[in-house]
Amino acid sequence: MPKPMVGAFYNPHLGRDLAAGTGIDHLAMADPPRGDDPWWPAIRDRYTLLLHDYLGQLSEPLDEPAIQRARSLAVLYRTPWVAEHFQCLHTEDGNYNLNYVFPPLYTEEFLDRFVANANTLKQRLDQPLVMENIPGFFDVAASTIPEAVWLRRFFDRTEVGFLLDLPHIWLEAHYHDAEPHVFLRDFPLERVVEVHVAGVEEDRDLEGPWIAPTAPSDAMLDFMAYAVQRCPGVRAVTFDAFSPTLTSDVLFSSVARIRRTLGN
Amino acid sequence: MSDRAVQDALIRALADAPFRASAEWRQRELANEARLDRFARFLARHYYYERLVHFYRYSRALARVTGRAPEGVLGAAGFDRLLPAIVLGSRDSGVAVAELVTAHLAGGRVSSIRYHDDLLQYQRAMMVVESGARVWRDGSSAADPGSRRSLPVTVEGTMLLELQHDMPAVLPLLLRDWSDVPEAPAQRTTLLIARSTHGRVSVARTTATITTVLALADGRTTLDELARDAGLRPAELDATLQGLVDIGAVRFSTGS
Repeated sequence: MPKPMVGAFYNPHLGRDLAAGTGIDHLAMADPPRGDDPWWPAIRDRYTLLLHDYLGQLSEPLDEPAIQRARSLAVLYRTPWVAEHFQCLHTEDGNYNLNYVFPPLYTEEFLDRFVANANTLKQRLDQPLVMENIPGFFDVAASTIPEAVWLRRFFDRTEVGFLLDLPHIWLEAHYHDAEPHVFLRDFPLERVVEVHVAGVEEDRDLEGPWIAPTAPSDAMLDFMAYAVQRCPGVRAVTFDAFSPTLTSDVLFSSVARIRRTLGN
Repeated sequence: MSDRAVQDALIRALADAPFRASAEWRQRELANEARLDRFARFLARHYYYERLVHFYRYSRALARVTGRAPEGVLGAAGFDRLLPAIVLGSRDSGVAVAELVTAHLAGGRVSSIRYHDDLLQYQRAMMVVESGARVWRDGSSAADPGSRRSLPVTVEGTMLLELQHDMPAVLPLLLRDWSDVPEAPAQRTTLLIARSTHGRVSVARTTATITTVLALADGRTTLDELARDAGLRPAELDATLQGLVDIGAVRFSTGS
């Protein structure tokens, strides 16, 4: 199995360091570059860039402007694949929006919606589509299918790639009092193209751990090594931190620790 | 009820604190209420963190001088007191949070920054104008109010900001490296701040003519009357209105 690329997210406030830094193979782009970002030309020249913007939510079909935006960003970044999330975060009428990733109900109706809309989007892109799992902090009584089963059925019907967010799995296992390695085994790891790794910290509102722009723990890195061994098609491992409070030291040292853990 | 409608109710419960507290929501028993409430508080803090970091980025750049970072207000008791009434994205909640952070920043070491009051006004206006429901995708049920052309009307929430300093001249400088706080020219400046139906906020220097057009565009004044009172030829009025429509400051009413 070829060794995966190891990278991070492009954080514009760290542009100077990233433009000159070493040890990073790729950068995921969560936002388009700002017109006044002086480091963007060097970043674009230097790195493999992964399109990881908010494109829409596949509970509804993406409209034509959203598809054209995705296509133009894909060209700008020369991205090897396009990422989207299993999310449904705003109401159909547009009146309420969470502005944060939030999973759909895991039901037959939502499965049909996501399959149809992902297949349509896939046909409109010139690069492969990958889809990222989203954590649930609480269970919803209206969900009728276990998440891992729902995802497996989605990937079987679309044949798109899986962007496995490991901290999301770790958090779900934590809040279900499950062992993360056991919890992970039900997910369709044979579909994984990219893996996200991140740090977690206690959150005062959640009264428990959640994703934070901090370094991954040794336990999280061990979990990553365990997962990557079971993902035969993985091509990239990304330190998933995108925040104005992220420091250059945390970003570079986290990528270096990921690389050491993976032995590349 | 479709699963999509159930998901909408769940999203609303997370976004809308008064709805979350209502019997209408609680009797659904869709999720553990304590867990849902905790996640809603987390989302509220995250939602306004994102906005403060973006719209108050100039104050953030000045924090080493003022001693006050805008997002610091989110961890304080004042924000906690807002939580039971917050509706993510609503104009009222946007105003409440903007006033909280404005008061927080005004209490910092700002005496050496002569244009600080203007800066706070500018950032507050950006955040407030951005708030409110929006169209998320073309063809969604939220109608595009600009699609039928009849009489022009200034869009609710559009702001004209009268400032004592030329803020557009200094804002980019604040985001660069500096040792002495950049100065802003003391020059009266009027800015127009508007939002498109898709949520994009635009800022433009404005003129007395544009101010007149915005004041008169009430959905009843005809184009001929507008052109006459603003002192514009029809073609000039058309171009002016098109520019205002493009940034979301003016729409065409559907008539009655």
